[in-house]
Amino acid sequence: MESQRCKGARDLLPDDMERFRQVEDAFRSSCLNWGYREIRTPTLEYIHLFTAAGTLTPAMLGRVYSFLDWDGWGGERVVLRPDGTIPAARLYSENLSGQKVARLYYITNVFAFEETGAENREKWQCGVELLGDCERTSDTEVIMLALETARAMGLPRVELKLSHAGILKALIGELKLDADAREALLDEILEGNWQAFTGVKSRNRAVLEAISTLMKLKGKSSGFLANLKALPSISKSVKKEIDAFAEVTALLDTMGTGYAIDFTSIRGFEYYTGLCFKITSGGARICSGGRYDNLIGLVGGRDIPACGFAFYIDAITAMVKPLSLQKAEKTVSVKSGQKSAASVKSAFQLAAALRAAGLIAEFDFSGGQLKARWSVDIQAKPAGFIIKDTHKKTQKKVNSASEVIDIIGGFGKLGK
Amino acid sequence: MANNAASPARLALPKGKMLARTAEFLKAAGLGFDAYNSGTRIYRMRSQAVPGLLAKMLNERDIPVQVAVGNYDFGICSSDWLQELQARYPASRVFKVADLGYDNAGIYLACSASSTISASDMAGGNAAWRIVTEYPALAEAAAYRMRLKRFRIFPCWGSAEAYPPENADFSVLRARDEEALSSLNLKPVSRLCQSNACIIASKDSLQAGDFSGLLRRFASAANIKDKPWRKPERPTAAINNDLSPSAPQGNIWLALADGHQQVHTAAFLEKAGITMLGYSKDAMRRRPSCGIDWLSIKVIRPQDMPQQVANGNFDLAITGRDWLLDHLCQFPSSPVTELADLGFGRVRVVAVVSEEVPADSIAAIRELITSSRMVPLRIATEYINIADKYLRDKHIARYRVIPTWGATEVYLPEDADMLIENTETGQTLARHRLKIIDTLFESTACLIGNKSSLAVKGKRVKIDKLVRIFREAAAKK
Repeated sequence: MESQRCKGARDLLPDDMERFRQVEDAFRSSCLNWGYREIRTPTLEYIHLFTAAGTLTPAMLGRVYSFLDWDGWGGERVVLRPDGTIPAARLYSENLSGQKVARLYYITNVFAFEETGAENREKWQCGVELLGDCERTSDTEVIMLALETARAMGLPRVELKLSHAGILKALIGELKLDADAREALLDEILEGNWQAFTGVKSRNRAVLEAISTLMKLKGKSSGFLANLKALPSISKSVKKEIDAFAEVTALLDTMGTGYAIDFTSIRGFEYYTGLCFKITSGGARICSGGRYDNLIGLVGGRDIPACGFAFYIDAITAMVKPLSLQKAEKTVSVKSGQKSAASVKSAFQLAAALRAAGLIAEFDFSGGQLKARWSVDIQAKPAGFIIKDTHKKTQKKVNSASEVIDIIGGFGKLGK
Repeated sequence: MANNAASPARLALPKGKMLARTAEFLKAAGLGFDAYNSGTRIYRMRSQAVPGLLAKMLNERDIPVQVAVGNYDFGICSSDWLQELQARYPASRVFKVADLGYDNAGIYLACSASSTISASDMAGGNAAWRIVTEYPALAEAAAYRMRLKRFRIFPCWGSAEAYPPENADFSVLRARDEEALSSLNLKPVSRLCQSNACIIASKDSLQAGDFSGLLRRFASAANIKDKPWRKPERPTAAINNDLSPSAPQGNIWLALADGHQQVHTAAFLEKAGITMLGYSKDAMRRRPSCGIDWLSIKVIRPQDMPQQVANGNFDLAITGRDWLLDHLCQFPSSPVTELADLGFGRVRVVAVVSEEVPADSIAAIRELITSSRMVPLRIATEYINIADKYLRDKHIARYRVIPTWGATEVYLPEDADMLIENTETGQTLARHRLKIIDTLFESTACLIGNKSSLAVKGKRVKIDKLVRIFREAAAKK
């Protein structure tokens, strides 16, 4: 059968949803434990929210789903939310800016066109925003929260990589390029093409060399940053940014949190102003975040310092082990060979009693193959129930619903 | 490969301004399309020289799209339309085979010559820049590149130069060079791309078929020494775009049509006793005057008028009811309304299929779709919003609307299954062996207005006066 599903769209089947909820539950529970509160922003936003300078790269904007609304004769386009952070920043500046510090989290879908249709064009994110706090402790807080969440999701080989947008932007600034060349370079870098630096024509050779050094080296401690700072080609403004970065790494060192400093590890950092980080599991990117102190101002609010991160649910759900096996243990397939009113009534009564006892009861009147460990067959004459354990391949006839519950709940035993 | 293994080829050729030079190029290539000349009424041609080669004449703007979707193997068009398509759909299955070196122009982002906006003003500040253009995808990409914080793009059918400075901050438009731009009273902010006539090809066709014979003919023509199609082009006179003295607050802005409707509109205004200065074919101005001091007039495309009235750039406009309805299908709560039926320019908007289709009504078409003999139904039309609503209302389950920029008759039967098209007498349709299966509505020229303008007391009086004059003129025989 030809699929009627849109190209680049995805159905989430029961197994997928189970893993999805597992990831979401782990995230939600971590956030609540750290004092974060949930928000939800609309799917439609005005596109100018995202074009406000420095929020999304031109390449990202070239892939949004935008259109004129039914009342769009004024030419203002709306867009299917392409990003989670920017609407959260708008929500904060319009509703919560009276709060000194806001700790917010969201679980949301984001939309971006992808040419081949092989990848999802609708993706899900779990995001956290810590707004109103410029202390280095807040950078550390979001990193620690992200790491704790990754562990709670049960992900293997979790690693933290750090970079710093402030340092990169200060260095690019010192190349003293004209506006067009600077924009073209930034566009390439934001898309992850670090080779673009090699083609730059700048008289400031020392800065180019400093950039090349940064690209090649990977650090593992604050000492690495101290070494960078001591390089002769590093200017005063870049040193200031390195100091800010080192304050965070020093805190992470103190807490014994391992990390790698890799300036090439981050892409699409246009709205970041300071520390950026990425978390990987088994080498695959599962989370990224950082500090973006200009963003609230750019979407129309006051200048408010902010930092946050987002987990990429689609990538993570492919890695987590589903709880469905545990669930099958608690699932009972209730069936009846006879369809008489009395038998159906007994089946409904038994199912209600099983559910009240904390079990999952699923009907199987048509004789389908359900993936439950247990099945109970309603017997009319003489009245009773046959319980089967599909794992142990045993069965027993009992007379009452309470006996069924005792056996399935682990309090009774099944004979051969 | 031997000649007899060559694949039959379909070629899309441009109508309009590129026609004469393209015909010279085809002649040099020995393609045997003698019927392809400025006077032709035949839009479908078979090559007299190359067996299996068919050509159709389309609006040049539609050619890259038609080649990209695989309806044609090759096309000749101006490269700006190819770039416009690729800016919107980078994965389009079409690419440029060769430049032909005529019809040279640049696509400029330009503002009024009187404007003081600088590039740094554009990237900074919180102004919502208004950009009017026939190239919405190129304009949008440029706006993203320039990191404009806030902007609105108004796609238009043409006459983009008329909008700045009163109704837009910028136009993105085609001009031969900066001098030509300056003669339009505009100055460039940046040149977005260069454009010239080119041969384009479908990637899928080139990958699957053997078109080497045709390509060799193209190559040999492109390599001849004396290329008549490259002779310097005589600049065409542009419509005077000088600004008028700034209109006092409370003036009524009226939009009048250029193009085919201009003659009829001018005749109607004369009948209404309004003496126009600068609204005749030989002395056209973008901003004509009429002796009524509270009335300011601008000449733009009738297709663009409803949205321009809706967004408040104009209080009134004389356009066709077809374009008003298309606008209302797109924006059902729009503040634009019909104020007077002016009676001229009468056409019927109809649903049309090829004579060979065994169906005489839209219900019969629905039957054909249900029996999967026409799935999905492809509808070529200039009225995309009317077509969309019509097909929804008629419960056509699967359809695709193919937007076109004119010459729609030629799409049937190969490139579309149905047209939603206007017709005056039905003769053109009959000549193309097409039949009408439904009449959607009848359209005449009408005066449209913005309801919010009517709510302004000072404006209401003036608008009522004009409506009265126009109604009386329409009632005259």
